[in-house]
Amino acid sequence: MSDLKASIAEREQLLGQLRDVLIDRMRLRREPDEIDADAPLFGAGFALDSLDAVELVVCLDTMFGISIPDNAMLRQYMRSLNTLADLVIAHRREHGARG
Amino acid sequence: MALADEVMAVRTSVTVADGEHLAAVRVSGRDAHELLDRVSPRQLFVRSGQMLHTLFLDDAAKPIADVYVCCDEDDYLVIAEGLDGQALAAYLRSQRDGLDVQLDDRASTHAFVCVDGPYAWELIAEVTSPDVIGVPYLSFFHDARFTCFRAGKAGEYGYDLLVPREHLSSVRERLLDAGQAFDVQVASRDALDTCALEAGFFNVRHEVRDGLTPVELQLQWRVTAGRAHPGHETLARRRGAVVQRVAMIAAPSALPTDGVLELGGVRVGRILHTRWSYVRDEQIALALLDVGVSYAGLRGFHCGETPVRTISAPTVNNRSLYVDPQRHSWARRASVSFPALTRPIT
Repeated sequence: MSDLKASIAEREQLLGQLRDVLIDRMRLRREPDEIDADAPLFGAGFALDSLDAVELVVCLDTMFGISIPDNAMLRQYMRSLNTLADLVIAHRREHGARG
Repeated sequence: MALADEVMAVRTSVTVADGEHLAAVRVSGRDAHELLDRVSPRQLFVRSGQMLHTLFLDDAAKPIADVYVCCDEDDYLVIAEGLDGQALAAYLRSQRDGLDVQLDDRASTHAFVCVDGPYAWELIAEVTSPDVIGVPYLSFFHDARFTCFRAGKAGEYGYDLLVPREHLSSVRERLLDAGQAFDVQVASRDALDTCALEAGFFNVRHEVRDGLTPVELQLQWRVTAGRAHPGHETLARRRGAVVQRVAMIAAPSALPTDGVLELGGVRVGRILHTRWSYVRDEQIALALLDVGVSYAGLRGFHCGETPVRTISAPTVNNRSLYVDPQRHSWARRASVSFPALTRPIT
């Protein structure tokens, strides 16, 4: 059960950080609790654009030390806050680091 | 054709399907915009030729229709899933007090044909014009024989054609004839519903229960806070006091709809909509979970004896993300190395 609590805490903290990025850096005019973790970031969802994608890449690097090597990886994980969080969590497991 | 083959056709080539689950009502008159702005939880900011993806809610904020509002010069076309044409017109009629609006249910005169897949754009270009390649997501155009809406809920390129019934069989035949060059397959609603669940699209026909609102259903992106619309008071109350929320789950074997989910022997939720994912080769489902455990990436849940874990949506890595109509084509697909249809990390 402690693993479960730790996983929840880690995901919750990450989602909070990512919501702050959307609100502060991308000027998304939403309250944090209105930004659902599985909602689409691009297209019909929060309508982020290619400039926002670049900003997200920079944030992943500066906040979590993740560099995105190619476009394919970018497209795979820039779908929702949860897919971004998956990427950060996997990176931490691999590198043993805390963002 | 087997369901697995239909799903893989949606994911890798192109499919044609009947769209009888969709209803269309044309809204005209001086106050058409005001009526739709009144009923849409999402601010109605849409230019001619564009579509807004929104919802219609009842007074308890329960979604009753998954809606595209399409601005067509001075009129609007409302495309809805979850209500038939008569019910859609009746809902709009019930909201039009004091407004100058005319409603025209298209069910008796028109029907939908749905074209989906990573090469759907190529088939639509073949039967219309190469210009279709530049048509952005959530926009539409009129062809001589139909109106083509760039939408779809499979997560792939998707086009919903609103066809006058007198042209329906000829349009369908034309799509299937031209589609032979792209290995076109006929897809069932079951196949497209499976793809929509994999892609994390809301399914109003399978995922709504009494008491659920956009807050629990992770559909708040389709609501603009602070607006008056049917159900807005319930929504405002619910926002600060959410106790359950949907999450995607996965399991190695079949799960029952409405099956109970337990964590450490304690009931924590139930399954709303479940299907076998042929892409992931496991069962996936949308589940309603206690908010304290409605996070992706958790293990330890059970439905009966079946182990269950939560996963992120969308659950697939759609090929359409990598197919660029400016550079790719069905004929040269073998020369392109596409990523797998699932993400390495889920």
